[in-house]
Amino acid sequence: MNMYKAALAALLGVSALTAHADPDPDKVLRASFNAPETGYDPAKVSDVYSHGVGENIFEPLLTYDYVARPAKLIPNVVTALPEVSADGSTYIFHLRHGIYFSPDPIFKGVKRELTAADAAYGLKRLADPAVASPSNYLVLGHFVGVDELADAAGKTGGKFDYDKVVEGIKAVDRYTLQLKVKTPYPGLQYILAMPHTSPQAREVIEGYASNTPAHPVGTGPYMLQDWKPGVKTVLIYNPNFRHEVFNFQPAADDAEGQRVAKEMNGKTYPQIGRIEVTVFTEEQPMWLQFKSQQLDELYGVPQPLIRGVLTIDPNNPRRAKIKDEYAKIGLKLSRALDPEITYFSFNGKDPILGGLGKPQIALRRAIAMSFDEQSAMRDIRRNNAVRVEYITPPGVQGHNPHFRMFFPYNRPQAQALLDQFGYKIGADGYRTTPDGKPFTIDFLSNEGAIGRQWDEYWQEAFDVLKLRVSFRHVAFNDLLKAMRSCTYGITGAAWIADYPDGDNFQMLMWSKNIGAENVSCYSSPRYDKLYEQSQQLHAGPERDKLYDAMNKVVSEDSAWAPGETRFRNRMMQPWVLGDEVHPIFQTSWRFTDIQKK
Amino acid sequence: MTTMINQAAPAATETRPQRGLWAMGWRRLKRNKVAFCSFWVVMAYMLLAVAGWLNILGDGWRAQIAVPYAPPSFLAKTVADTLPPEAPVAGGTASAPALIMVTPEEDPIGKEMEIARQNMGKYATANDAKLESLPFGADLRGRDVIHKTLKGASTSIFVGLLGALLSIVIGTSLGSVAGYFGGKVDDFLNWFYSVFTSVPDMLLLLSFAAVAGRGIKTIIIVMALTSWTGTFRLVRAEYLKLRSREYVQAASAIGASDARRMFVHILPNISHLLLVQFSLLTVALIKYEAILSFLGFGVGVTQVSLGSMLAEAPAELVQGFWWQMVAVTIAMSLLVTTFSLLIDGLRDALDPKAR
Amino acid sequence: MLSYIIRRVLQMIPTLFGVMLLVFCLFSVFGGDPSLVLAGKHMTPATLANVRAQLGLDQPLTTQFMIFVKQVFTLDFGTSWGSQQPVRDVLASRVGPSLTLSGALLVVDLLLAVPLAALVAYFRGGLTDRIVTICCTLAMSISALVYIVAGQYLLAYKWGLFPVGGWGHGFWTNLLIYVPLPMLMGLMVSLGPDIRFYRSFFVEEMNHDYVRTARAKGLSEQKVMLKHVLRNALIPVVTTVMMSLPYLLIGALVLESFFQIPGMGNEVVRAMNNSDFPIIKAITVYVALATMVFNLLADLIYKLIDPRVQLK
Repeated sequence: MNMYKAALAALLGVSALTAHADPDPDKVLRASFNAPETGYDPAKVSDVYSHGVGENIFEPLLTYDYVARPAKLIPNVVTALPEVSADGSTYIFHLRHGIYFSPDPIFKGVKRELTAADAAYGLKRLADPAVASPSNYLVLGHFVGVDELADAAGKTGGKFDYDKVVEGIKAVDRYTLQLKVKTPYPGLQYILAMPHTSPQAREVIEGYASNTPAHPVGTGPYMLQDWKPGVKTVLIYNPNFRHEVFNFQPAADDAEGQRVAKEMNGKTYPQIGRIEVTVFTEEQPMWLQFKSQQLDELYGVPQPLIRGVLTIDPNNPRRAKIKDEYAKIGLKLSRALDPEITYFSFNGKDPILGGLGKPQIALRRAIAMSFDEQSAMRDIRRNNAVRVEYITPPGVQGHNPHFRMFFPYNRPQAQALLDQFGYKIGADGYRTTPDGKPFTIDFLSNEGAIGRQWDEYWQEAFDVLKLRVSFRHVAFNDLLKAMRSCTYGITGAAWIADYPDGDNFQMLMWSKNIGAENVSCYSSPRYDKLYEQSQQLHAGPERDKLYDAMNKVVSEDSAWAPGETRFRNRMMQPWVLGDEVHPIFQTSWRFTDIQKK
Repeated sequence: MTTMINQAAPAATETRPQRGLWAMGWRRLKRNKVAFCSFWVVMAYMLLAVAGWLNILGDGWRAQIAVPYAPPSFLAKTVADTLPPEAPVAGGTASAPALIMVTPEEDPIGKEMEIARQNMGKYATANDAKLESLPFGADLRGRDVIHKTLKGASTSIFVGLLGALLSIVIGTSLGSVAGYFGGKVDDFLNWFYSVFTSVPDMLLLLSFAAVAGRGIKTIIIVMALTSWTGTFRLVRAEYLKLRSREYVQAASAIGASDARRMFVHILPNISHLLLVQFSLLTVALIKYEAILSFLGFGVGVTQVSLGSMLAEAPAELVQGFWWQMVAVTIAMSLLVTTFSLLIDGLRDALDPKAR
Repeated sequence: MLSYIIRRVLQMIPTLFGVMLLVFCLFSVFGGDPSLVLAGKHMTPATLANVRAQLGLDQPLTTQFMIFVKQVFTLDFGTSWGSQQPVRDVLASRVGPSLTLSGALLVVDLLLAVPLAALVAYFRGGLTDRIVTICCTLAMSISALVYIVAGQYLLAYKWGLFPVGGWGHGFWTNLLIYVPLPMLMGLMVSLGPDIRFYRSFFVEEMNHDYVRTARAKGLSEQKVMLKHVLRNALIPVVTTVMMSLPYLLIGALVLESFFQIPGMGNEVVRAMNNSDFPIIKAITVYVALATMVFNLLADLIYKLIDPRVQLK
């Protein structure tokens, strides 16, 4: 069969040059995920795996350059980055002509072109209460007239009126989209590069209203062929996809980018005909399948395997290589820091641990200083992480690599500090509050093996400080509940960037976000004032100065105990070309190729 | 679980009051060599369990005495793969900007921090060197696998015994009430029983555990709540049969109360069945604890059980660290095998029909 | 006979009601609130309220229970709260793989365990019996986890005798390529207890008076075994198997997750972890129904094979 095809292609060689070649359907990329996805309606899902698949099906207005580091915005289905009005409130986008949705029975065999109305619909849909989008925060409160639509729909019997023209999100003509914001929205351009905000064909959403997650129809290079929730997803090439050729321009000193450019430049986008994604809930089968060449790409090297697969410099975790036995057989590694932070959060409203009084700060400081983060990172993360030293992590706009947020690990000093503030050791061997009352710290922890590992390191810290601790292991939803309602003592928390702008992180400590993102229940007038100033500013040195000041406030108050930012380690078989971890994209499948044997 | 419940059924054999049953059972057990050897091994484990609870044995399991995953002493050393030394940064360190951090003046508790720094000498601790290898290797935190296994076996036996005991208590009390009183009470308890047996054990188990949180208490309760049904069926059938026997009728004639008849007159006559059932449950629950721990409902941080050790095994084996899994498997299979053989022996020895 | 069946079917109603009450209490009354996860990491109280309303969680518990009752009657459990796919589709796609694995496991297990048990019972008390019993006990004593983890590592990965895991299209591909290794691991776990269990049936049957009489009449041991014991001992075997059939629906949880088999067990765990109530309710009700029906069938078969049995 392949011989025949090859012969045919040779005969028709001339025509193959003029009409662009579709990707080879025999080029199958077998990829893996570490956790189940939930579905493919970008407005309805909030997990990285679902959006990772969505990236290949849907196209937001803007996107990122695949090889530029740090991540750089580029136009996607629009002709250029937006024109902004003088007062900064109005953005105009011009859609490219000749961009088509993938074929679907709803279109009745007609090629359906992307219009500005689709872009407006995709954005407005996030605000529709009937969709109950977890991403509604991206739209609500920002665009002129949209909140009013949502409020009207939220009333009993109300329906979201998509036809009503609002200035905030408006299709001016077939190819022109206007966005008008109420107050400055520095993150807007990043938000328009998220798959969540991709244009949607209204007739598709309404046609599949009862089951949108199983019927994604977008303008991207791939379309969904088969989906077994939580087990397997198969994507195939979208035949309506426009003709584009890879032309990556990486920086001269970026060796990995240079490799990608060398492997991919000049080829048409995309190259792979079919992508099969398998979900693995256990680490052993995932690794064994990859090692026995039943998988082409490993989404991430599972944590327990890192020590066996990679050699990481314990003094500088940024330096790593594949172990010789694997390098010898040609396995490849691509590595990048995730745009995330993990941290241990003290509940700002806890009667013992919370508040801005000196004894409370001292107690938090002592606990944070006694946590042997370095050993935990070495043993649990296998050195595959860097310590958090700034609220905004590396790779995100506004990060300051020269800041040190946490006081150094020093258990003797921590104990002396507790003595200093009168946390005396009582008759039972545990410390009491300065006014002599015994207390127990409520440590909230997720059930499961990983949570258990951290608890062991924490237990040690509390043993040394002679503080009584009680670990409360709960399911994930109860964990969230406790964090949102400020009913815990200490807990581990994490935040991964929605978009690579510092505001997405600095807002974690804003007191107005208590009950939502501010799970530390941290309330500091000094911090709030600085943060509200920073909201008026676009990224730049002036905002960076405010960010430094905000980090100092959190550091002085010891609101957090140290956590880390992890590396994502993707591994590929020798025949996978052009694969590189992107700081924002979850998947690189659409930019890769397979070298046929 | 199905097997476990079913296995109890054939044991329901005819009984009559017989004081000599226990003495005869003991004589018969002594004659059965396999069972008798098993008996002593199980007793040794029980001793170990008691020593473990009293913190005489395995108490030091939390001490981190070796490097992470230190191999067993009898293994040959492998050379670690290392990176080439880091190339010096061009321009040197001088050009790097100074680090920004909170200064003592800015720090609201800067003064106290400084005093604490001066006073910290009294808390200084010496850092012991970690061992490179241990007799049977170390775990992730450099703890001795042998100590851990001893302590873990003790916890698992404790969990198994208590879970089985609770399960027997629930099953016997419900079963005796149902069988003795019959009628509406029996109907209601039978309904209760059929509801529990109609829901898959796995679902019951996971949902109870999800509701109850984590820890030893939860494991014991969850296991008892899902395993009482076998005992219920067995005890109910025995009570149905025995309540009409002459000696029970005679007791009723001399005015013995229901409770007295149920627990003084009938219960001793099924005690040998309960002992076998109890042992069966203990073994099943020790094995079950491993699965529960694997699913994330294991013991707390300061405790260790065979199950919680086994839950660490998949991640270790894939890296080539097999010793913890082997240690647990040996400890557990010796216990379970001897215990099961002992039960076989007990069943034969306490069977009134056999000669 | 017919009136017996009707009575048994009527008895199922209160039991099913009890099962529903139990599941409802465990999940809707005491269980966690899934809307907290579904509302996403930027959840505000308003978003949370909206999500709860969409799921019907803002309704009073009695109303929620009535909806559940209606769902049971129509056997339509709505859509999964995770993937938002119809519960019926989700379960339909999961039941095939589970049945393929656990069905194959059951058949092979029976084919091995019953003859072996009969053989061992035949030599009861002898050396063969003792060795087999001890081997079975030993095999039982090792945790299923150890078999799976070590078996996958050694047999599939180190020695390459089987694929490490996975699932293909087509019944035969799966049965011949992907099922053998997990089945082998399942056999290691189930064969020991089953041989011991079935052996007890045979031994019990052989101790019956009629067997002794037959022997006394001068029938050879083999003839007694084949003609009387085998036939009668198979009755409890058949009913035991019948009663275990509903559990095949649930699949083998750990086996499925380690060998990437897209079966029911995997889905149960996912649904549990994410409080996906529609899926949990549907599975529980279906399995409870199947359990009751197969229990009834087991009793009827018992009656058919052995006319001495009185149906009460």
